Amino acid sequence: MPALAVVGVIVVFPILYTGYISLTNMNLYHWDNYELIGLDNFQRALLKVDSGFLKALLTTILWTVFNMVIQVILAFFIALGLNVREMKLARVYKTLLMFPWAMPAYVSILLWRVGMFNTEFGFLNKVLQALGLGKMNFLSENVPAFFSCMVLNLWMALPFMIMMMDGALQSVDRSYYESAKLDGAGFWKQCLYITVPAIRPILLPSVIMTTFTTFKQFDIVYLLTMQKGSLSGATLQTIITYAHQNAFVSNNYGLSSAVSIVIFGFIIVFSLFTNRGVKEEA
Amino acid sequence: MKKRIAMLLCAAMAVSLFTGCSSGGDSAKPKEDTAGSGDSEEQTAEAEEISIWHDGDEAIMEVIESQVNEKLSGDGVTVKFEKKSGLTDQIKLYGNDGESGPDMYMYAHDSLGTFVEMGVLSPLSDIAGEEVYADMLPMTQEAGLYKGEQYLLPVYFETLLFMYNKDLWEGEVPSTTEELYTYMEAHTDAAAGTYALVNQHSTAYNVSPFINGFGGYIIDEDASPGLADEKTKEAIEYNKKFAALQADGDYNTVTTLFNEGKAAAIIGGPWLVPGIRDAGIDLGIKSLSDFTLPGGESLAPYSGIQGIGVMKHAAEEKKDAAAKVLAALAAPEVGVALAEKASCAPANQKAYDEESVSGDEMIAAMKRTAETAEPMPNIPEMSVMWGPAESLLAAVNKSGEDLDAAAEKYQAEAETAIADMQ
Repeated sequence: MPALAVVGVIVVFPILYTGYISLTNMNLYHWDNYELIGLDNFQRALLKVDSGFLKALLTTILWTVFNMVIQVILAFFIALGLNVREMKLARVYKTLLMFPWAMPAYVSILLWRVGMFNTEFGFLNKVLQALGLGKMNFLSENVPAFFSCMVLNLWMALPFMIMMMDGALQSVDRSYYESAKLDGAGFWKQCLYITVPAIRPILLPSVIMTTFTTFKQFDIVYLLTMQKGSLSGATLQTIITYAHQNAFVSNNYGLSSAVSIVIFGFIIVFSLFTNRGVKEEA
Repeated sequence: MKKRIAMLLCAAMAVSLFTGCSSGGDSAKPKEDTAGSGDSEEQTAEAEEISIWHDGDEAIMEVIESQVNEKLSGDGVTVKFEKKSGLTDQIKLYGNDGESGPDMYMYAHDSLGTFVEMGVLSPLSDIAGEEVYADMLPMTQEAGLYKGEQYLLPVYFETLLFMYNKDLWEGEVPSTTEELYTYMEAHTDAAAGTYALVNQHSTAYNVSPFINGFGGYIIDEDASPGLADEKTKEAIEYNKKFAALQADGDYNTVTTLFNEGKAAAIIGGPWLVPGIRDAGIDLGIKSLSDFTLPGGESLAPYSGIQGIGVMKHAAEEKKDAAAKVLAALAAPEVGVALAEKASCAPANQKAYDEESVSGDEMIAAMKRTAETAEPMPNIPEMSVMWGPAESLLAAVNKSGEDLDAAAEKYQAEAETAIADMQ
């Protein structure tokens, strides 16, 4: 019971309070003297959630699908590689591979922005120039920016997936492969009929978890392209950056609260649907 | 047993929650005694303390603090500067709180309108006469004026300058933007990564010299945005051809290019100078007012004025002490000390009578720029303009979008943002 009370205070109170503020006209011009104004803010909030939201939703879905498919496939093959029995230094490789995951996201994102994508000092542009090609601004337009963000996300997220795959692979009984070999099954057949079915149940929770973190990815897109004072030119929006941009309207706490409640309502409904989809799949 | 542990943990959490609240209040209580007044300990303890919150360079604030405390010794008043990062949010929380909030604040003037509308500031006329700001440069005084009332006492100001590397720049620095462009075309090799001039060409503050110079505006006094204004668009179009020769325009990129000797000149503010000096660059400075645009007008950058405002509760409860502090702050000696020790351009005109101030190349250039510079708008609506203005510049300069279409789009975005404030 007391635990429930504390959880209630920590989790429920802020939500209720946001709900309360969304019913008031608390803003710059009514700082200390705000009052209840009913559902006006919600009416305005619904008008704000426009076609931009659908576009952001579409981008987010594309983002999640691309990232997850590539992540799972790449991680699978890298993990297979790490599990080759004769491989020396497997531990060293595994430690090195963990590195991007262990680094604080903020640091790696800014490192990539300057160290990789920058037009003057970025590694990628140095390579392009060495090849005799011109400089390229990777983040100034939406399509290249999308793929640049994706590459970075893969770099940051792959280690976790590889680690999970690696653990799952080690749990597969080697004797299956030996008997399969005797039956004449090649590498692809072994993968398809032994490895994949064997690791699927073990992997599913981490895949679902990663899908959610990918879906609500914020920092990569924000820090690479839309940091205040250094906009890169791309106008890529995911649902969360869209919510951030629209919800935190300047100093109008009443309207901001209403917009965030509306947008997060949409997100919750949407993730319930995806969640159900994933469960049925399982 | 488990239950008991759970209870204990809960209690601990609850207690820590509440102590969290109260400790914030305690630590902010201004009862510590201050250094710098040179008085005996007994006197300092009795002296009334005025706390001033800021979010600036602590070395600069120390100069002001020690000057003011010296002037106030014997008056029974001391000031204490406290750094608060994210000052705007801090003032939103504590602005009306006499107990744990500040008595005064020192910050760039562009947030003035926001604070006044929130009702946390008192006009200077409630505390002191007009003579406290009589000696200030007109541009700086105007910056502290909101809806016809003077709220800020300007202390020093900053503005953009043309800074060049004397070892790299060939010949005289031109005095028209067209000549400057010709020089840039001849001396820029983007493939090799060497540039004649770099600028943060897609941030509104750094493009303001062009926008204001062309007679355009980002927002006018009536809070209507001017992104789609013909003159603003003309300026953005003109800036675009410079931007094409100025690398990516990101802050880190352009400062690194200049500090590493890959760019011969940079448009930037005095805040870049310590880094430039560390890089061992022989720095030359020219005022942006000394460049004329094709139409004959001068470049007119925005200027940010650091000024001091008085919180409402302090104006009521500590009026006399606040008046003494304002008088001490307004003295030319504070300006002279700021110029000598921290290379700041003082707002007080009398400070420039001192040779050490007017003889400083950078300070002299800033003072000259003050003649054409415009104070950043200080209405609250300006706070939502930086975003759309920067998006517009980035769309035109970096993504190659059509200027007219982009201007319409971000003008509409700005109008929505302003409407959303109400």
